[in-house]
Amino acid sequence: MRGIAAAGAYVPRFRLTTDELSEAWGTSHASGIERKAVPAADEDALTMAVEAAERALSSDAVDREDLTLAAVATTTPPAEEGELLPRLARALDLPRSVATATVGGHTAAGAEALSRALDAEGPALVVAADCPAGEPAEGDHPLGAGAAAFVVDDDASATVTGTAWYTEETPGIRFRERGGEEVASLDVTTYQRNAIREAVTEAVSSLPVDPADADAAAVHQPDGQFPYRATADLPVSNGAVAAGTVVDRIGDAGAATVPLGLLAALDADDPESNGDDAESAGTSIAAFFGGGTAAGVAVEGDVDVVGIHDLEGGTTVDYASYLRERGYVVSGDVAGGGAHVSLPNWRRSLDQRYRLVAGICPECGGVSFPPEGACQSCHSRVEFEEFEAPRTGTVRALTVIGQGGAPPEFAELQQRDGAYAVAIVELEAAAGRVRLPAQVTDADPADVDVGDEVRATVRRIYEQEGVPRYGVKFEPIESE
Amino acid sequence: MRDVYVLGAGQSSFGSFPEETYLTLFDDAFDAALDSVDGEFDPGAIEEAYLGTLGVGGRQIGLSGPAVTEHLGLHGVPTTRVENACAASGFAFRQAVTAVKSGVVDVALAGGYEVMTDASSDHTRWWLGVSGETEWERTSGTTFAGVYAQMASAHMDEYGTTAEDLSRVAVKNHANGAKNPKAHLGFECSLEDAVSAPSVADPLNLYHCCPTTDGASAAIVVSEEVAREASDAAVRVAGAGAASGRVGLFQRDSLTSVPASVTAGESAYEQAGVGPDDLDFAEVHDCFAIAELLAYEDLGFCERGEAGRLLREGVTDPDGELPVNTSGGLKSKGHPIGATGTGQIVEAFKQLRGEAYVQVDDPKYGLTHNVGGSGGGVTVHVLERGEFA
Repeated sequence: MRGIAAAGAYVPRFRLTTDELSEAWGTSHASGIERKAVPAADEDALTMAVEAAERALSSDAVDREDLTLAAVATTTPPAEEGELLPRLARALDLPRSVATATVGGHTAAGAEALSRALDAEGPALVVAADCPAGEPAEGDHPLGAGAAAFVVDDDASATVTGTAWYTEETPGIRFRERGGEEVASLDVTTYQRNAIREAVTEAVSSLPVDPADADAAAVHQPDGQFPYRATADLPVSNGAVAAGTVVDRIGDAGAATVPLGLLAALDADDPESNGDDAESAGTSIAAFFGGGTAAGVAVEGDVDVVGIHDLEGGTTVDYASYLRERGYVVSGDVAGGGAHVSLPNWRRSLDQRYRLVAGICPECGGVSFPPEGACQSCHSRVEFEEFEAPRTGTVRALTVIGQGGAPPEFAELQQRDGAYAVAIVELEAAAGRVRLPAQVTDADPADVDVGDEVRATVRRIYEQEGVPRYGVKFEPIESE
Repeated sequence: MRDVYVLGAGQSSFGSFPEETYLTLFDDAFDAALDSVDGEFDPGAIEEAYLGTLGVGGRQIGLSGPAVTEHLGLHGVPTTRVENACAASGFAFRQAVTAVKSGVVDVALAGGYEVMTDASSDHTRWWLGVSGETEWERTSGTTFAGVYAQMASAHMDEYGTTAEDLSRVAVKNHANGAKNPKAHLGFECSLEDAVSAPSVADPLNLYHCCPTTDGASAAIVVSEEVAREASDAAVRVAGAGAASGRVGLFQRDSLTSVPASVTAGESAYEQAGVGPDDLDFAEVHDCFAIAELLAYEDLGFCERGEAGRLLREGVTDPDGELPVNTSGGLKSKGHPIGATGTGQIVEAFKQLRGEAYVQVDDPKYGLTHNVGGSGGGVTVHVLERGEFA
């Protein structure tokens, strides 16, 4: 049966605790949330989606070249209009013929994307990635970030046994005005609680499973208490709701919260999910709600979720750092001109920036990066034989660019993220050594040294003339 | 081919002169070059000019060379603007030498100019990155200091070079520059100052970086015949070496050497028929402290990894075996990008005529080493004291 054959989760490294938030504001509006995930200055819904998808595709369940559909659910695309899926597809090296679907506009977008994949033929990729923002004094308090990726295919270990929908006009619950950055709510408490509970109840009741049998339920979770209230009219156990709740650790990640909750429930390695009996795969339910639409999804079985450990841990930041990282207090204007790499020239280098494609010289066997111009070893003009370099490597040279020392196009990154490390990274391929300069992200620059092992990740490099540019950075490989 | 001489060489003051223009600064340099000629010389004899500038700030992006010679009154003289980043006028000098050596002209003007301190800090930062490899190096978020800092980190990792070794470059060069009235930062600094300065691009701190500077320099390059007529003490260009290298550090084999410096040095030594042991002084490209260390090793002043020791033992102090950067170097004298290469020629010219502010005892051979970017283009010249007095 069709279902989830592989999965990946990604949660940004930084965490803001609700205690720290309360300290800053004298109160907090993040009930049942202990800490929330904070996207770094070089992260957005696209980079989180790429990372989660890369993790899901790292299992050998499907070959990426066989994917027929790629669907993304997010309420926070990097641009209100513009490339999202093509960038994701290019960064992941998906086939150019892949069908695409971009779903947004409400927090149940993940269900719509998943539904597209279930209806498709052949292996499909679904990613829900989100990093909503709100008015800092209140609306922003519960908002977190994260991404969940699903590879949907036939004969999956976690089969989807049913989906159900319930849609009804319920205005004012959660909305964002046209052109606005901040999620708002009219906060008519009883009205919205009742409306969501009713929609969730209707959708879940229409599933071909008895909710009482659910071992885990990932229910719409704008805060830590809400999923229990939303299922008050359903025979779902508190234990099941707890097994599908992640908002307490990552905050309200918009369209990605329930998908991440579902992954927490499905993870085969987690003894707490799928009931006590680790031998037999259990029943999981997802109950999405957003923009008046509720959707129920029933799943039988489990799956290895690569990166699910991201839900725990993280590096806590203080509130001032939080405001900076998220760009609440930074202008973002590029003064004095940026690097003059034209967009067509940037695009020409995407195979290098995303996939680390280098070249082997047919004359001498030497390796060149980028694979252009004369061979860097023998200086012959050749047609390089291209190959993808490994995505892990070693720092060979390093500098730290401190406040005020960045080129203008990196000034915003520096204001938001502070001093950053730039390395020359060496990737050891079978064919030889690939070297490239790149930032080391997700690390305190003071802790990075020559000789450190690092791993490639796709991040936002800089933005110029309103167009963000993405490409490879490296993150430390934690010695565990 | 025939011998080539430097008949005169001079520079404007190097410093921060935001009210000056590249035209007025070059006027000063040219006047100083004319003044330095010990005999009779008519500037009307100049047949060709090669002028180096990066063009920081934009200003006259096109045709600034002809604008300079016309402003000087060298009316109609064919002028070529040379752009090779920080080695622009090293290469302009090389062009002038080649033109005279080949017999195409008997008298050529070489020089360079740059105005860097009249722009906003954002604008300046933008320009400071334009000679790094743009597509990868620049878009990884480095300015120029960052690329040299990466070389420093690799040198420290490979050879155990320390922050103190780097700081000794500043101490030495500032001590020299303090005696040079035309230096930009003409003050002394202690090792403690230089070690504890604020970070610019770790591991390089403020004292490991040269300033941004306004200035101009000029050299009059002539045939032996012209030199004998106009001077008793013209300086012979004994060797002119140059080489290109990959613009991006990541594209080169070594992170702790500038291959183009090695090649340019070998070729200059071979032409001059001398080796590093024969040198009495050198002006090397110390845009960042690590660059001076790399120059020692690339030019054969010592073995790989030994540059720190040379500094610790005072070998390159004015009273050492091989004094380096007696002018104050880029660190203290200043680094008006396009003017630096011929600025080094000015110091070598003065040394070989016994007219330097920090004079080396009776020198016969001196070397100048000018690096564009982090090593994309390098010139090395060996100059020899004139012997027809």
